[in-house]
Amino acid sequence: MTTITEKAKDLVKVDKRDGKLALAHIYVAFISLFIGGLCGLLQTLVRSGHFTLPWGIGYYQILTVHGVLLGLILTTYFIFGFQIAAVSRTAGTLTSKQRLLGWIGFWVMTVGVVMAATMVLLNEASVLYTFYAPLQAHWIFYLGLTFVIVGSWIGGAGQILKYIEWRKANPGKPSPLITFMVVINLALWIIASLGVATSVLFQLLPWSLGWVDKVDVLISRTLFWYFGHPLVYFWLLPAYMVWYVVIPKIIGGKIFSDSLARLSFVLFLLFSIPVGFHHQLTEPGISSFWKFLQVVLTLMVVIPSLLTAFSLFATFEIRGRMLGGKGIFGWLKKLPWNDARFVVPFIGMVAFIPAGAGGIINASHQMNQVIHNTIWVTGHFHLTVATSVLLTFFGAAYWLVPHLTGRVLTKEMNRLAIIQAIVWSVGMSIMSTAMHIVGLFGAPRRSDFSTYGGSAQAAEWIPYQLAQAIGGTILFIGIILALYIIANLLWFAPKGDEEFPIGEVSEHAEKTPMVFENWKIWLTICIVLILFAYTVPFIDMIQNAPPGSIGYKFW
Amino acid sequence: MSNKKEKELNLKGTLYSVGFVGVFILVTWFMAFYLFIERF
Repeated sequence: MTTITEKAKDLVKVDKRDGKLALAHIYVAFISLFIGGLCGLLQTLVRSGHFTLPWGIGYYQILTVHGVLLGLILTTYFIFGFQIAAVSRTAGTLTSKQRLLGWIGFWVMTVGVVMAATMVLLNEASVLYTFYAPLQAHWIFYLGLTFVIVGSWIGGAGQILKYIEWRKANPGKPSPLITFMVVINLALWIIASLGVATSVLFQLLPWSLGWVDKVDVLISRTLFWYFGHPLVYFWLLPAYMVWYVVIPKIIGGKIFSDSLARLSFVLFLLFSIPVGFHHQLTEPGISSFWKFLQVVLTLMVVIPSLLTAFSLFATFEIRGRMLGGKGIFGWLKKLPWNDARFVVPFIGMVAFIPAGAGGIINASHQMNQVIHNTIWVTGHFHLTVATSVLLTFFGAAYWLVPHLTGRVLTKEMNRLAIIQAIVWSVGMSIMSTAMHIVGLFGAPRRSDFSTYGGSAQAAEWIPYQLAQAIGGTILFIGIILALYIIANLLWFAPKGDEEFPIGEVSEHAEKTPMVFENWKIWLTICIVLILFAYTVPFIDMIQNAPPGSIGYKFW
Repeated sequence: MSNKKEKELNLKGTLYSVGFVGVFILVTWFMAFYLFIERF
C-alpha cells in the first residue's frame, strides 16, 4: 500500500528553471535526431545502388553528418538533459551558480556544434565521426569539437557541484542512487575526453591550421580510442540509470539492490577506459602483449553487464510473482505490457543481449580479424547505441518531456509510443541483421556503393544492401513517429502532472556501504589502470614514432 | 535472512534467464571462433 509520504515523493517535480535547462538540451537532441536520421536513410538508399545523391552532395559528407549528429550530439545533449533533470529531482534544485554553469556549458557546446556542423555541411570536413588522421578537416571543425568537449566539462561541473553540496549537507549518508550514477558517468566522460581533447588541441588543430606539416597518425588514433570506447559507456550508463532506478518504479516494484547497482557503475568506470586498443587490434605499432592486456580489461566489463542482467531479471521476477505470476516464467506475463514507459526501454534491454554477445566477439583479439572494418561493426553499434540506448532514451523522453512541460502522456500517445518501438525493432532487425551477415561475407563499412569492378564477391553483397535500405526506411518512419510524439508532449498534450519515476530500494537489500562514495579509492584505481595499460605503449609509440603524415582531403 | 523472506524471493526464472544469456554469448562466440579457425 502506498503511504502518504511515498505518494508525496512521487509528486516531487523538477524545478521549472532546471527543467528549462534540461529541455534546452533535449530540443537540440531531437533536432539532431531528425537531420542525422535523414542522412542515415539517404546512406542506406545510396548503398542499395538504386539512388544517387543530388546537388553534388557526397556519400561521405552525409555519413559524417549521420555519425557526428547521432553518435556525438544527440547522445551528449540527451544525456545532459536527462542528467540535469535527474540530479535536480533527487539531490535538489540546482543553485543559481550550478544552473549558470549548466547554461554556459550548453551555449559553449552549441556554438561548437554549429561550427562543426557548418563545416561538415559545407563539405569541408567529410572525415566521418572518428575524424581519423590523415584525413584532414577544416580547422573550424576541430575547434568546434573542442568547444563541445569544453562545454560539456563546464555543464558537467554544475551537476558535480550539486552532488558535492548534497554530500556536505548529508554526512554519512549514501547519495541518491541516480545522482551517484550521474557523477560516475561524468567522471568517466571527463577522464576519457581528456584524450580526444589532447589530440584535437595539440595535434589536429595545429596541423589543420598549417602550423605543423605532419601528424603522428598512430598517436592520434590511440588518443581517439582512449576516448572512443568509454564514449560507448557514456551513452550506455544513462540507459542503465533508467533500467536500474526508473523501470522498477514504473512496474510497481523495487530496486533489487542499491549496492549492486553502485558496484556495477564503479566497475564500468574502472574497466571502460583502459581498453581503447581493442578498437586497434589490427593497428601496426602496438605490441600484441599490450593489445592482449587491454583485451583482458575489456572482457572485465562482462561482469557488471551480467550483474545488471541479473538485477533486472530479479526485479521483474519479484514484481511479477508479487502480482501472482506462477511457474518459471509466469511472472513475465504480469509485467505492464501496455505501458510505453516500460515496453520501449524493455525492447532496448532485449536488444542488448545480441549486442553484448557481438561486442565480446569484436573484442576477442585475433578473432577481431573476422569482422574488422566490415559492416558487421556498423550492425553491432546500431544494436547497442541505436537500439538499446536510443529506445531507452525514447522511453525516458515519453515521461521526462511531459514532466518538464507540465503535460501528460495520453493513452493515444502511449499506444503510438509502443507502435513506434515495434516499428523501430522491425526496421533495426532487418537492417542490423543484414549488416551482421554481409559483414561476415567481408562487405566493408564506411563505403559508398561499389561493384568493385564487377567482382563476383561484391555482387553477393547487393541483396543485403537492399535489405539495409528497407530496414533504414522503416527506421526513418520510426524517427518520424518519435518526433511526432515528442512534439505532442512539448506543445499539444493536455496539461497535467506526469511523474518522474524514481524507484525505492527493496526491503530485502543490504544496507549500502559508504565505500562506494569514496572517490579517492575509485579514481586512484581508475588512473592506475589507465597508466598501467597505456604508459609503456605510449613510450614505444613516441620512441619508435612512424614518419608523420601530411593531411589528405579526398572529397 | 529468514525462511519467510527466502520463500518470497523465488528467483528461479532469473536463474534460467541469466543462464540463457550466458549460453547465447557462448554459442555466438564459438560460431565466430569456428569462422576464424576456418579462415585464418
